[in-house]
Amino acid sequence: MTTGSSGGALTTTPPQAGRAPTGGPPLAKRLAGAMAFDKVGAVYVWIAIVIVFSVWVPETFPTLDTAKQILNTNAITGLAALAITIPLAARVFDLSFAYVMTLCGVIVAELMVGGMALVPALLVGLGAGLLIGLINAVVVVVARIDSFIGTLATGSLIQALITMVTDDTTVSGVELSGGFAEIGQTDIAGITLPVIYCALVAVAIWYLLEHTATGRRLYATGFNPDASRLAGVPVNKLRFVSLLISGGLAGAAGIVLASTLGSGSPTAGTPYLLPAFAAVFLGATQLKNGRFNAGGTIIAVLLLGTGTTGLALAAAPQWSQAMFVGIVLIAALAVTSIQRRATVRGRGSGVHGGGVAGTDQPGVGTSTPVTTED
Amino acid sequence: MGDFVTNEPRAARPLGAAARNGGDAATAGEYALRVFSLSKTFGATRALQNVSIDVRAGEIHALMGQNGSGKSTVIKCLAGYHQPDGGDSAELDGESFNIGHAVPDGLRFVHQDLGLVLELSAQDNLALHGGFAKGFGGRVLWREQEKETHRMLERFEVHIDIHQPLAAATPVERTVVAIAAALQGWHGGGGLLVLDEPTAVLPHDEVERLFAVVEEVRNAGTAILYVSHRMDEIFELADRVTILRGGKLVATKDIAEIDPRALAGLMVGEDVDPDYRAPVAGKPEAPVVLETRNVAGRWLRGVDLQIHKGEILGIAGLAGAGVLELPYVLTGHAPRGDKVTGELRLPQESSEWRDITEADKLNIPLVPADRQREGVIFEFAVSENLSLSILDRLGRRGKLGKREEAKAVEEWSDRLEIKAESPGALISTLSGGNQQKVLVARCLVSEPDILVLCEPTAGVDIGTRVSIYDLIARLAREGLTVIVSSSDEGDLLAMCTRVVVLRNGRVAQELDGDGLSQQALVSAIEGEN
Repeated sequence: MTTGSSGGALTTTPPQAGRAPTGGPPLAKRLAGAMAFDKVGAVYVWIAIVIVFSVWVPETFPTLDTAKQILNTNAITGLAALAITIPLAARVFDLSFAYVMTLCGVIVAELMVGGMALVPALLVGLGAGLLIGLINAVVVVVARIDSFIGTLATGSLIQALITMVTDDTTVSGVELSGGFAEIGQTDIAGITLPVIYCALVAVAIWYLLEHTATGRRLYATGFNPDASRLAGVPVNKLRFVSLLISGGLAGAAGIVLASTLGSGSPTAGTPYLLPAFAAVFLGATQLKNGRFNAGGTIIAVLLLGTGTTGLALAAAPQWSQAMFVGIVLIAALAVTSIQRRATVRGRGSGVHGGGVAGTDQPGVGTSTPVTTED
Repeated sequence: MGDFVTNEPRAARPLGAAARNGGDAATAGEYALRVFSLSKTFGATRALQNVSIDVRAGEIHALMGQNGSGKSTVIKCLAGYHQPDGGDSAELDGESFNIGHAVPDGLRFVHQDLGLVLELSAQDNLALHGGFAKGFGGRVLWREQEKETHRMLERFEVHIDIHQPLAAATPVERTVVAIAAALQGWHGGGGLLVLDEPTAVLPHDEVERLFAVVEEVRNAGTAILYVSHRMDEIFELADRVTILRGGKLVATKDIAEIDPRALAGLMVGEDVDPDYRAPVAGKPEAPVVLETRNVAGRWLRGVDLQIHKGEILGIAGLAGAGVLELPYVLTGHAPRGDKVTGELRLPQESSEWRDITEADKLNIPLVPADRQREGVIFEFAVSENLSLSILDRLGRRGKLGKREEAKAVEEWSDRLEIKAESPGALISTLSGGNQQKVLVARCLVSEPDILVLCEPTAGVDIGTRVSIYDLIARLAREGLTVIVSSSDEGDLLAMCTRVVVLRNGRVAQELDGDGLSQQALVSAIEGEN
């Protein structure tokens, strides 16, 4: 598992050593590598949490119903987190996603209440999400405004628009109870549809990031845009498309959310802003060594969801859930940062020191060449 | 005033001779700075091995060496950026300190990038280094501050508007402000000022002004460690010189007892014969594969080139001549916002001229100058770094073919003899030379006809350097056309079949690589005919 630098030339050790993305190590070794603490530490923490709550509240926590509840209540958070995974892989923030969720939910609800049929209303709602994605992309990529500030601004504008149009009142009506409600409320053996959507989107994003050239280029863009550009990667195009995708996915998540609520609330999306970012950043510490990835995001959503659900069942005070999220985040990022420093210690480049938290600037020492003089 | 125990009579050096006016107050010791066996390792690279340096009080001591010799590492250790692996003991003015753990007050630095905030004024920049003059409640006493700023700058006869952003000042004025900032609160009498390549960004005619400032600092009794790889400066300015090569101390010499040729020999060493030539053959009769017409940009003022198949064309020139710009323009990667004009064509493919800004659509890959910033993706494995340029070709219907990728990576690692633990190892675990080879492989894996290299051996150790020369020569013999732009004459001498010298953005001279001597190349670059 070490990434030390001694050893023979590649030619003498064909790709059977290590967890090479290109190699095909034996299954047992691969499994051992995949279960290592530095890759899936959150899974062990999750197991520990399950054990703690099973002991703490043995009557209500370790039941199938609780498991289903955790899945059902966190599916929307999962969708929201997945929506921002792709832009973050390219180191683009989309802070407007929560407002897009609200917007698209409100739009579909308004249209349905106004008498439009389900499918056209859904299409218009999704179109609105894509449109916001397009606006974000123009602001960030064409106008070259920092994505953090740019999407914060568009998010603020979207919220203003929503409040203006809805007069800050929830859109509701009998029209929302039929087919629209089924999108989010139908359940199969106690598992609601949003869980299925979340799983499907996770698989799609996993495939994109892991098994396509586009995914590799997204990561390259995120890690070193200058080098990527020189190697022929269409950096700006990827950033542009990633914002379109997050707009569309956030729109879909917002529609699903409105369906589960049975109404179009003018503030429905806002509560998902921080949990989604928390999950994505925590997820980046899992599986892929600092890369934002679908699997890690899902693990993180489940870990955080299990903890907060457990605390609620244990009748712990309200503030304990927020505290739990904060502690887990800081602990995970700190552990990852320490591990990474230990792995690459002495390289002097400091590039890994920042961990995933330093999203825009990789680390302190990047501009200090190791041995370069000129 | 410092003492000058070790005065050597030096004749006819325009500035140095005038400097010998000290000699009183023998309070400080004989040496301003003594470094005892400093060592530093980065991963697999031994950047410094037992390097000892003695700088006498009140002297201008040059620290010389080629790229990768360890000059910068010495400075970064002294400044506390790096912790040495061993031998951290040192003395400043007779008082011992531990390198990398403490920086004594008398040790001051002007780094190559000057450490200035160009958006701020001279006054603010000085205050950032030395602190603001403050009154009750932390209020800045602006009038005091202004007076202090004027006082500091007057010493060096710089007359600039101290309230204007430094971006408006000339390069030499900025350098002087950086020196003034570094010396704040230190008014002569011992100590050491480190100047790291201060002339690298200066136009040629402003260098003399900087020298006058350097002399002024020395006359106030402060010794100077002057890092450079420019011979002419060293002979004009320095009293003694310490030469590093491959992270080891080669020698410390009085300038009076050494000539440029001997100094060059010491810098280059025996591992690499200064007359080493990778086996290449000039092919003027070979067909032209790349032609440019009137290429202009930020520095370039109209460059016409004709490059023949299998040729290794060197681009040489001083900073600001366009040497660093040309490779980026040729490959269609000029910085955003720079206005670039000109045309190029590939006569083998079509006789039509194309706008040079479309060059990125041709398959002319670039190995960039700054490996860390523009080349390597540190979070990626060796294999991922290597295959980045050919992801399109790997696999089918959008699915990335990991097996094909592994095959390509293995083949090129093999051909370039890249030393890595495994293709899946992070590239940051490789030595600088091997990282460079991965970048060359990234370019070659797309099977181009023309390859452009910028500073191909920066930060590459001597041994690997020769293997890179040989590699490029071999590729050229196999029909690859190579354009090499380098500020290191050694690169150009070692492998180029032809060298084009740029001056003021234009082709000033063309030299045949065969039998080209270092002197001839250097004087062509400097414009002395």
